Amino acid sequence: MHAFRQKYREEVLAFSFLWPSLLILIALLIYPLIDVIRLSFYDSNLQRETWVGLGNYATLAMDPLFWRAFWQTVVFTVFSVALHLVIGLALAVLLNMQLNQTFRTIARGMLIVPWLLAPTVAGMIWVLMLQPFGVVNGLFAWLGLIDANFAISWLGDPSTALGSVTAMNVWRAFPFFMVMLLAGLQAIPKQLYEAAEIDGATLFHQFWHITIPQLRGVITTIVLLDSIWTFRAFDPAYVMTGGGPAHSSEVLATAIYFDGFQKLKFGYASAQAVVMFVVLFIASAFYVRRAMSNAQ
Amino acid sequence: MTIALHPAAAAHPRPFLGRHIGTRGRERLLNLFAYALLIVAIGIIFFPLLWMFSVSVRPNIEVMRMPPDWLPQVFTLEGYAKIFQNKKFLVVFLNTMVVSLIVTALSLFLGAMAAYALARFNFIGQRAVLMFLITTQMFPLVLLCIPYFRIFITLGLYDTRTSLVVVYLTFTLPFCILMLRSYFMNIPRDIEEAAMVDGCSRLKAIFKTLVPMSYPAFIGAGLYTFLLAWNEFLFAVVLIESWENRVLTMAIYSLMAEFVTDWNTMMAFSVLASLPLVVAFIFLQKFMVQGMTAGALTS
Repeated sequence: MHAFRQKYREEVLAFSFLWPSLLILIALLIYPLIDVIRLSFYDSNLQRETWVGLGNYATLAMDPLFWRAFWQTVVFTVFSVALHLVIGLALAVLLNMQLNQTFRTIARGMLIVPWLLAPTVAGMIWVLMLQPFGVVNGLFAWLGLIDANFAISWLGDPSTALGSVTAMNVWRAFPFFMVMLLAGLQAIPKQLYEAAEIDGATLFHQFWHITIPQLRGVITTIVLLDSIWTFRAFDPAYVMTGGGPAHSSEVLATAIYFDGFQKLKFGYASAQAVVMFVVLFIASAFYVRRAMSNAQ
Repeated sequence: MTIALHPAAAAHPRPFLGRHIGTRGRERLLNLFAYALLIVAIGIIFFPLLWMFSVSVRPNIEVMRMPPDWLPQVFTLEGYAKIFQNKKFLVVFLNTMVVSLIVTALSLFLGAMAAYALARFNFIGQRAVLMFLITTQMFPLVLLCIPYFRIFITLGLYDTRTSLVVVYLTFTLPFCILMLRSYFMNIPRDIEEAAMVDGCSRLKAIFKTLVPMSYPAFIGAGLYTFLLAWNEFLFAVVLIESWENRVLTMAIYSLMAEFVTDWNTMMAFSVLASLPLVVAFIFLQKFMVQGMTAGALTS
């Protein structure tokens, strides 16, 4: 016993600090994951469970609604992340210019505020603004883009619902990119720009050949993270449209929720969740590799 | 405009004068441009927030007018009054506050312990634990809802605030561990070892040296944890049913379902729900930004 303690001293000490967190996380993450995988082979409605083998997966493969939700999730994610990156980068570059220090702090602080709001609250504000009587239509009518008597119901029209949800998500979450990219910009050595200036490089060249390559690491990390977070997002679509009208803004998270908690098809919902997990797991493998090389 | 310059102006070229402005002038022109663009950007980004506030202080009939009035024609606090007169809403605020505070305290305490182990010891399985922690942040939360719902019904914890505290740890605890770990690693271990040589136990040494020295990490991680718990919605929808156990995000959503047209009350509620976070942010911006960005940079 004594010899064991000597040999594994570090392990004993480490696990005496680690065990509460590990126990909680295993109970909250590993056990439920196994349970969901098991459930995906059953037909279950809480009361009884019937083994159906791969039945749920076969249904899912043929279910046009599932594939629709899947592609809409991809579209939602791609547009959200791309716009986060463009807006976040533009604002970070502006904030990184030689500004008054107080102005910079205040401007950065004000631009972060949307990120503090709950997606529920942000969604609610946008639901109000996007009503037929809402201020977005008011703004467009004032600019002469639409006729005030034929106001658009942004959330009620299948062709604009997903775009509206994306717009809200872009507005709420771009500050994350802005803050991260600003931190990245501030870490670029000034000498690189000075040398380029002497060589007569234009601002565009400096941006393209110095700023972007220097930010590549940060950009890859936040694009991966944001893609994963957006892909699994539930709140925006659920709060703003409930996936409607006619499933036009349905994403995977809301589809799984409705199948499970409204139609009580827990087995089928689990199968969809497992597919979603596999997709996210592949994406996070890239992120984990990057994060691990940073962490050690 | 002519380019024939006054001698004094030529000595101090002004940004707007075209070709002969030189590097310094070009820089000033660019900066002016940056100020202008940033002010425009702030205007656009703040518009929804200002609109929320402006609707919250106008009577409801004014909300549905087309074209909309840019400013309230009648100023009223009836939206806020409705909330403060209804005990139901005050309970919701209290619930959210209590749940978020307990989650934050638990995450920081357990997180600090685990972070200490990961930062200070070399042990078998360390890499696996780190990898597990990073992966947990990528979990689809909707997947967890299904087993949580079933488990908490079995345990008799469905529709309790306790269930929320427990499940919120799934995303707050890994974050706290990773952030505190990276901070602890930058503090030399000699400091607490010196305290241990002086006769302190390990725990006492940690509390006397490491914890006070890493207060920025605790504030940053704590604030971000609080924000995550305060804003969470999905688990609350799945695990809570009765009004007396509801939290803010869910109450706002049910308000929309119940009083579809009561927009001023809903916006007043939204203002009140966001206020604590915005106030905390104004005073602790530096720590909060640190906390928010740390999640992504686990180095």
